[in-house]
Amino acid sequence: MLLLENEILQYLGNPVEERFEPLALKIFEFQRARNPIYARYCNSLAVEVDSWKRIPAVPQQAFKRTELRSFPHEATTFEFRTSGTTGEGYGRHFLPSLDLYEAAVQFGWEFFRLPHHPFALLMQSPEDAPFSSLSRMGGFLTAGQRDRFFITKDGVLEKDRLQKFLGSTNQAITLFGTALAFLNLDSTELRLPAGSILMETGGFKGSGREVAKEVLYEQLSQSFGIPTSAIWNEYGMTELSSQFYSSGIGNSHLGPPWLRFVVINPETNEEAETGQAGPLKIVDLANLWSVLAIQTQDLAVAQPDGGFILLGRDPKALPRGCSRAMDELIRRSQACPP
Amino acid sequence: MSSSKIMERAEAVASAAKPLPWLGDLSKEKILAWVELELPGFSKSAKRKYGEHQVIAKPLSPILHILSGNTPHAALQTLIRGILVGAKNILKLPEDDLPEVREFIQRLPNELKPLVGRVLEPDWFTEAEAVVVFGSDETVQYFQQRIQPWQRFLPHGHKISFGLIAGSFDQDVVHGAARDVCVFDQLGCLSPQFYLVDGDSQAFAETLAEQLSTLISSPRSWSQEIAASLRAYREEWKFRAATEPGVMVLESPKSLDWLVIYDPSPALEHNPLHCTVLVKPMPENLEQSLAPIRRHISTIGVHPADTRLTALAIELGAQRVCAIGQMQNPPLTWHHDGWPSLASLIRYVDVEG
Repeated sequence: MLLLENEILQYLGNPVEERFEPLALKIFEFQRARNPIYARYCNSLAVEVDSWKRIPAVPQQAFKRTELRSFPHEATTFEFRTSGTTGEGYGRHFLPSLDLYEAAVQFGWEFFRLPHHPFALLMQSPEDAPFSSLSRMGGFLTAGQRDRFFITKDGVLEKDRLQKFLGSTNQAITLFGTALAFLNLDSTELRLPAGSILMETGGFKGSGREVAKEVLYEQLSQSFGIPTSAIWNEYGMTELSSQFYSSGIGNSHLGPPWLRFVVINPETNEEAETGQAGPLKIVDLANLWSVLAIQTQDLAVAQPDGGFILLGRDPKALPRGCSRAMDELIRRSQACPP
Repeated sequence: MSSSKIMERAEAVASAAKPLPWLGDLSKEKILAWVELELPGFSKSAKRKYGEHQVIAKPLSPILHILSGNTPHAALQTLIRGILVGAKNILKLPEDDLPEVREFIQRLPNELKPLVGRVLEPDWFTEAEAVVVFGSDETVQYFQQRIQPWQRFLPHGHKISFGLIAGSFDQDVVHGAARDVCVFDQLGCLSPQFYLVDGDSQAFAETLAEQLSTLISSPRSWSQEIAASLRAYREEWKFRAATEPGVMVLESPKSLDWLVIYDPSPALEHNPLHCTVLVKPMPENLEQSLAPIRRHISTIGVHPADTRLTALAIELGAQRVCAIGQMQNPPLTWHHDGWPSLASLIRYVDVEG
């Protein structure tokens, strides 16, 4: 194990505030030295990196065009892929080991005091979906219990089996899955035992279905018989290793101490003023194997509690007009070459 | 069409269009000349001889115009056509409204004012004799499926325009190219999204950037979503410029006012518009490179506007070919999306014996 990897693992277990910045800068230098593509990008920006906030963030889209590795190619053991639902191909995140990812998931869960109820996961098992980082996260949380995954290899949601599982226990459980999977459950009669929580993630990208969070949470609260405050959102992405969480409606997303964000003013590309909306730049110390700083297209507003309110993951309004025509034609031509 | 009424209608349109120079020369005389060109004889008399019989031109009426939000230009053009043929007009405005259209309507005499709304009333659609739709392929298809066999359907789907440059070019040409980009914030179907340059393509990109920086001098503002998408596009290309050979990003400093991307690859690229242009060397196999957008091409601007390049543009599928610098100024008489714009709103009655 690399010394730096070990140092990060220790930090995740014992995150001392003063060590965040030096460790972030150390990881940045490590990645810059070992990842020639990232180094070229940093050189082109010519910024003086004197704080974690100024670490050059790679646009999330770049993961679709480039292989970003801060370790030797031949050491690649795992590859996670984005869903590719936006039609421009998928982003790829390569890892030589899962230790940091697993630690980020488990310590994150601990940090937010999320319950250790038995899990029911509306996702495929990691064996059935080896390129899904979410399935892998499910694998960590369930310690590999395959029967806790309720979506088959072919993508079929096993409603009957889920119903049976929920009916067989009075113990509180954690039902975790994509927002889309929950929408697909909508007509099914399911009640969760008292004290259960529900965790949704992933938005509705490319599904053609869009439901406001308030509406979704009210609907879920009624269908499952739990208060909206027991419904959580996990905000993560394939290109990162750590996750932000929020609970209920209208509350901030918060990250564990090793996961930080800056809201960017899109006009100036500098940090936005308090209260201003802008795309999120995320710095994740557990993301040692690619790049620790990623610029997303997700809009958010920073909050006084140290978190952010997410405004949207998939700005549906865009692209518009004749820009949209171009976008659709390119997608179509990529889907079926002439 | 009655001849006295057409005079009044032409006058009313000319007067309402006066404060909008971007609509082109809409004097009463020009309008009447246009009507005469497309519908010969009708500006003088409602009935005319046609072969062995007489023919009367009747407007399809009412005409329902379903408008999109990109620019007020297309919206006003279609309304003006409807007014000139003498139809009753109904405008379904886009969600974000089109203030220029509302102002134009206020300047019209009451009898020519269209019915206007942002919500489509069901009877507007069922009663219309002609339905003109502007929008995405999706929107157009939606209405197409609901059209009755007796209704005339005139679809204007979103289009893509671009420029072809061959050989040398001077500052004036590039200035014209930059102007074509800036009009209506590049949101129209005639707005060039990219230039293909056979010659010093890199120099064209650099000069285009200079011209854009001169043309766009006042600060602009966008919604959060648009600003975020423009920023994301810019940062993505900066990454590509740093990591892919030959790619160059020329941008307005510390703002999102304009962006020129130089990309040596022939692949078509998405464009978020709002003064964002891609410049590429002329691809070796031009026809193949443009194949994905062939059915959606509107205007191809050419420099030089000579026989060879014009023929090439027509071959590529252009609906309209013009000189660089004129892309946003179609003549009043142009065949918008390929059909006669007044005659399409007319039905003919043949009177024999």
